[in-house]
Amino acid sequence: MSHDSEQRTASDVTVSELLKAVKGFLMDSALPALSGRDQFNARVAANVLGIIEREQQLGPELTALDAAAAQQWLPGEAEPSTAPQQLSRALAAREINTDSHFFDYLKKRQLLVAAINNPRYASRKVAEEKWRDES
Amino acid sequence: MSSDQLTALLNSALTECLAGEVPGEQVMQLERLSGGANNETWRLMWGSTPLILRRRPFSADSIDQLEGNILGLSLVDEAAVIQLVTSTSVPVPEIHAVFDASHPIGEAFVMGFIPGESIPQKWLVDDAYEVSRSRLAFQCGEALGRIHRVDCSLLPANIGPSTLDKRFVAAQKRLHAYGDISPVMQFGLNWLIDHAPNEAPCVLLHGDFRTGNLLVDEQGLAGVLDWELTHQGPAEEDLGYLCANVWRFGQLHKPVGGFGEYDELIAGYASTAGWTPELSTIRYWEIFAALSWGLVCQTMGALWHSGNGDVERAAVARRRSEAELDILLLIEEWKNA
Repeated sequence: MSHDSEQRTASDVTVSELLKAVKGFLMDSALPALSGRDQFNARVAANVLGIIEREQQLGPELTALDAAAAQQWLPGEAEPSTAPQQLSRALAAREINTDSHFFDYLKKRQLLVAAINNPRYASRKVAEEKWRDES
Repeated sequence: MSSDQLTALLNSALTECLAGEVPGEQVMQLERLSGGANNETWRLMWGSTPLILRRRPFSADSIDQLEGNILGLSLVDEAAVIQLVTSTSVPVPEIHAVFDASHPIGEAFVMGFIPGESIPQKWLVDDAYEVSRSRLAFQCGEALGRIHRVDCSLLPANIGPSTLDKRFVAAQKRLHAYGDISPVMQFGLNWLIDHAPNEAPCVLLHGDFRTGNLLVDEQGLAGVLDWELTHQGPAEEDLGYLCANVWRFGQLHKPVGGFGEYDELIAGYASTAGWTPELSTIRYWEIFAALSWGLVCQTMGALWHSGNGDVERAAVARRRSEAELDILLLIEEWKNA
């Protein structure tokens, strides 16, 4: 047994690698064996694995950004785990001054959310070019 | 429901409905078409005639308590609207049979099959449709002008006039009901409320008139499909909706549906409607359309949570981020204009 394979015990297969393995199964084995709606859904399922992987990578940054925003715009009230909800409700109640700083936060947040959920969406490229250098 | 079960139910129902109208004896080649996260669409052959079945696979009860028109009409009302539009020269399929929710098939209707290409990724880019694309924005304007002139007093009772204020209240209720998870959606709704145009007369709107719901052939517009979001509202709403980023399928440089220019759409519209809409009002409705798409995505998520739907519906919930991105881009553009 080589040194490499000794290191690769079952517990060493990372979540990313597991996702890759499942994606390979869906695209290479399941998809060709299915037809119609099921085949379509296999492709959707493979894409969903991409969302999971990207949320794993970028989710903590998004959570931190939202928590900081809640601290800034709802000082004293902010509970970090529900920052987006608190900000949304305060917006609905018109309790936040939506100045350019707040708009900048929303743009920054949205670049992360878009990168997680649907990085290939055409508007994202436009937004990246416009907003990436602003922050 | 399996396709065998559905075939059996259709065989008995259609034998009666299609007698003397469409020659044939039994359903053949029943096949579920991909896409459509809300209603199912099936293709079938009856004798040598291709037909399309639209069917709602779930009960709408779980979301009935939420006001608004996101999930759309009953298929019975949708069929009635399509039949009404048949009197204009807008190309729509012929309705052959309608079943209400008490029928074993479920709420559904059967309609004629119009040849043409519906898949945007094909007709938006393929050279074979180049001439077609160059005419399409004008033709879409013409068709919308005709739809908007349909006599609203003939509509099913469920399709009544509405006001922007009611729409805002309904949207707010939805955002709350879905857990207020998106500050961007809320910011967008606030902006739309603060920049609302003056109330305009209500006309019959298709409500989902966009690339993806149009059938296109080498001559241009061959069919207008998917009338489930039909409602009454201001004319510019349909025009702005057609121009929304999410329905340009990546062809962002072509503002009308990914294939045309604003002035072509407006000229086509004026030619049949008899008046010329303002571009700025159309652009307002583009932002409204972005919010609406976000709400549709959230509704898909809520439906999935209530046990209705497959992995596609769960995945569509995440496409809310497209709407959010467009809301911010468009509001920024508006500010800088």
